[in-house]
Amino acid sequence: MQLTLTINGRDHQTDVPVGSTLLQVLRDELRLTGTKEACVEGECGACTVLLDGNPLDSCIYLAHAAAGRSVTTVEGLVRSDGVLSDLQQAFLECGGVQCGFCTPGLLVTLSAFLDSGAEPTREAVTRSIVGNLCRCTGYSQVVDAVQLAAERRAAGR
Amino acid sequence: MTVIGTAVVRTDGEAKVRGDALYTVDLEVAGQLHGRLLRSPVPAGVIRYLDTTAARALPGVRAVLTAADAPAVRAGWLVKDQVLFASDRIRFEGEPIAAVAADTVEEAQAAVDAIVLEIEELPAVCDLEAALDAGAPLIHPDWERYETDLPPFPRRGNLACEMVSDPPGVDEAFARADFVVEGEYRADRQYQAYLEPKSTVAVYEDGRFIVHTGSQYPFNVRDRVAQFLDVRPSAVRIVGHHIGGGFGAKLDAALEPYAALLARATRRPVRLANTRAEDLLTCPSRENAIVRIRSAVTKTGEIIGRDVVCYMDNGAYCGEMPLMPGLPLHMAGANYRVGPTRVISRLVYTNTTPTGAFRGVGGTYCCFAVERHMDDIADRLGVDRREFRLRHLFEDGDRLLNGQPLDDAGILREAFDAVEERAPWKTLAAPNGRYRGVGLAAATWLVNPMPASVTLRLNDDGTVGLITAANDNGSGAVHTGLVQILADEFGVSPTDVIVNAPDTDLAGYDAGSQGSRTTHVVGRATQEAAANLKRAIADVAATLLEAAPDDIEIRSGGAHVRGVPSRVVSLSEIGRASKATTGTLTGSGNYASPLPEFNPACASGLLFPCLWTPSYHVHLAEVEVDPVTGNVHVLRYVVAQEVGRAINPVAVAGQIQGGVAQGLGYTLFENLRIEDGRYVERTLENYRLPVAVDIPPVEAIVLEHAFAEGPHGARGVAEPPILPVAAAIGNAVSHAIGQPITKIPITPEDVLAALASPGRNGSRR
Repeated sequence: MQLTLTINGRDHQTDVPVGSTLLQVLRDELRLTGTKEACVEGECGACTVLLDGNPLDSCIYLAHAAAGRSVTTVEGLVRSDGVLSDLQQAFLECGGVQCGFCTPGLLVTLSAFLDSGAEPTREAVTRSIVGNLCRCTGYSQVVDAVQLAAERRAAGR
Repeated sequence: MTVIGTAVVRTDGEAKVRGDALYTVDLEVAGQLHGRLLRSPVPAGVIRYLDTTAARALPGVRAVLTAADAPAVRAGWLVKDQVLFASDRIRFEGEPIAAVAADTVEEAQAAVDAIVLEIEELPAVCDLEAALDAGAPLIHPDWERYETDLPPFPRRGNLACEMVSDPPGVDEAFARADFVVEGEYRADRQYQAYLEPKSTVAVYEDGRFIVHTGSQYPFNVRDRVAQFLDVRPSAVRIVGHHIGGGFGAKLDAALEPYAALLARATRRPVRLANTRAEDLLTCPSRENAIVRIRSAVTKTGEIIGRDVVCYMDNGAYCGEMPLMPGLPLHMAGANYRVGPTRVISRLVYTNTTPTGAFRGVGGTYCCFAVERHMDDIADRLGVDRREFRLRHLFEDGDRLLNGQPLDDAGILREAFDAVEERAPWKTLAAPNGRYRGVGLAAATWLVNPMPASVTLRLNDDGTVGLITAANDNGSGAVHTGLVQILADEFGVSPTDVIVNAPDTDLAGYDAGSQGSRTTHVVGRATQEAAANLKRAIADVAATLLEAAPDDIEIRSGGAHVRGVPSRVVSLSEIGRASKATTGTLTGSGNYASPLPEFNPACASGLLFPCLWTPSYHVHLAEVEVDPVTGNVHVLRYVVAQEVGRAINPVAVAGQIQGGVAQGLGYTLFENLRIEDGRYVERTLENYRLPVAVDIPPVEAIVLEHAFAEGPHGARGVAEPPILPVAAAIGNAVSHAIGQPITKIPITPEDVLAALASPGRNGSRR
C-alpha cells in the first residue's frame, strides 16, 4: 500500500506491505535504524517514536494509522544545525548512556516530557519512563540527565 | 592535569545518542538472505521422522540444512558435548534441529513450518537430585567419550562436574558444637534480558567465514564456529559491533555457527536473528540452584565449623559451567571466619536450556545462602546481626577456604563502618511497629585474570590507535577506562584515541568483557603497549630534536627534551616523520593476572581455583513490606564498594546503580521458573523486568585503596554490585516480617505465605 507521512520534518512517500508496523517502515523501508526493535510486544519501549508529539511503541502500531501524520525519531532530536539537543548532551555528561540500545527510546520519551513543560521532579521524570526498559543504568543517571537538561533550559542555556 | 579520576564523556556516546551507532541487529549486508531455525518444541525426546522436502520446494528458499549437512563433530567451550543440530536425541526445548535460509524472513519461517518433524517425547529429567539417582535416564549416554582440554575432573553420567573439599576438623567441630543451625536456600534462574536480541550476519568469502556479531568474547565465538564447522580457527574471522547489553549471555556462540554454515551452503551472506521469545527460551541464563548450609556454633556465639552442599543446574550442555562448582568453596568461607568447612558442589545435567554466565554467576545465590544463614544464626543466638558479623569478620591476612591469603581483607571493616556512618544500624534494626526491616550483606569478589593483547599505533595526525579485541559490553571499560588510560599516557584528548571494532583478524587474543576484567587486565596490557610505543616515539623524536632517546619525555601530546621546554615536537609531526622514514610506529603489550598463593590440594574438581584481584563490598537494604499485597518496597539501598581507583567516577557510579538494579530484579521482580522441563515465563510481558519506578537511587560509597597491580591501582568494578543484593534484601524482608526468607525471588506470594505461617516470630518488630 502507498504510505505518505512526515518523518523528522521531511515528507516520505513509500510503498509498504499491508499490515506493516510503523517500526518496520522506519527500519526496513527507510533505513532509519536509530529506533530499535527489541521485543515486538510493546513491552520495552526501545521502539518509541513521537506521533504528532506523543510517544508510542512503534512496534505494535500499524503504519497506515500514521498516514499523513508527523513522526519524530531519535534522528530528529538534534538541533537544526546538527548540534546535540540539551537532553542528548546531558545524557552524555551524567552517565545516562551505557550500552545505548534503550537510549533512542528514552530520549524520545523524555524530549516529549521536557517539551510538555511538566515539572521535572525526580518522581515525575521517573514515572514518565515506566514504559522504557533499561537493563544497564538502573535509571538513576537517566533521571539526573533530565534534571540537568531542565535546569539548563530554565536558565536559558 | 590528568584525566584519570575525571568524568570523561564516553567516546562512543555521541553516536549512541544521535541514533547513529550500529548494532549487529542494524546491519544489512548487500545480498543477504534471512535465516530461521527449526527448534524442538519439547524438552526431551527422540526424533523419529524428519523430512525437509516440502520446505526446500517453497518460494525463496535457498537452503534447508540438518545434521546430515553439518560436520559430524561435537563442540563446546570446556567439554565437547554439543552438536549443531539434534538428529536423534532432543535435550532441551528450543534445541535447533534444522536451519533455513531464504530471500525474506517470512519465506524462511514458512519453510521452517513446512518441515515435517515427529518426536517421540520422553519425560524431562529436571530434578537436580533425582537426576543423580541410580537408574535416572542419562541425558548424555556417551558422556565418557566427550573430549575436554581441562585436566581430568570428577564427572559421570548426569553429574557434569563435582567439586569436593573436605579438610580435617569438620566432624570434630560439629561434635563439640553446642548447637547446629541449618538452612536450605533455593534460587530460580535469571534471564540476562539485554535489550538487543542476539543476531548475526555471516559471509563466506575466499574460503573463510566472516561473522558479524555483538559478542562479548570474539575469540571464543571464533573457536566455537571453527569447532562446529570443523575448520581451523583462523578460517573464521569475528567482527564485532556495538553490543546492546550482554551481561555474560553473549560470551559463547549462539546463532553464529548456523549462519556460517548457511552462508557456505548458499554462497550468500546470511542474517540470522532471534525473536525475543526465542532469545529468552534459549539464553544461557543464570542457573537455578539449591544450597544447604549447616554451621556448628558454640553457646558463646562462635561459628566453629561448617558443611555446605550445593546443586547447580547445568542444563543440557556444559558451556563454561564446569568452572562454577568451585564458587561455593570460595563463598562459604569468605568475609567471616567460620572454622573448618566441608563443601560439596554438584553441577547436574538436565533437559533444560543450557545455563551460563550472568554477572556474578553463582555468587549471587551463594552470597544469599551464606548471609541469610548468618542472620539465621544470629537470630538463633539472640544477638545483633551486625555485631555478630563484625565478631567473625576477616582481617588483613585471613585466608579463604582454598588457602588464599587476603592481604587487605581489613577493607571489609572499613566498608561496614562506611555503611554505618551513612545508615546507622541500631535505629534501622530496632523494633518499629510496622513491616519495616533492614538487612546487611558482604561480599568478596574477583577479577577474571585471563590474558589481554593490545597493540597501539601512532597515526600521522597525532591520534593514537587502540587495536584490541576487548569490547565494551556497555560498561564504558573501553570507551572511558582504556581511553582515559591512553589519554593520560600520551597527554592527548580522549577523543584523539581511535578505538577499533573488535576483529579477530587484526587484534591479538583477548578474553572478553567478563569478570570485571577489562579496565584492570586490558588496562595493564595497554600501559605496557604504551611504554613500548613511547620507546619507538622517543627514538624518532630524538633524531628530530637532536637529543638522546633517554632524554625524551612523552607528555601533553608531544615529545619533549627533559629540562629544555623550548625543544618539543608534536605527536603528529612524529607520526608524519616516521611515515616517511621507518613506517608506522607501534607498541604492543600483553598482560594476565598472576596466580595468587593458594593450596591446590584443597579440593578435587576445583576448576576455578581462587579469587584473583579481590575487591570488598558491603550492602545495606531497608525495606517496607505491604502485608496485604506482599509487595516489598525498597526504601533505601546503601553500597560501600572497594574499587582500587575510580578511573571514571560517573562510569563507576553507573556500574553500581546498574548492578544493584539487576540484583533487585533478581530478588523481587524477575522469575524464570521451570515446570516439566519447560519455562513458565516466555516473553517480556510475564518475565517482569524492573522499570524505573521500581529502582531507588543507590547511595554509593566508593572506597579507593590502590591495588598494586592495577592500572592506577584500579580493581574490577562491574560484577560485584549485583552479588549481595538478594542477600541484603532477603535479610531485610525476613527482619520485616519476622519469618525467614529462603528463596530467590521473593515473590508477593512468598511473603504472604510466610506472614500466614504459624510460629512467626513477631517479637522483632
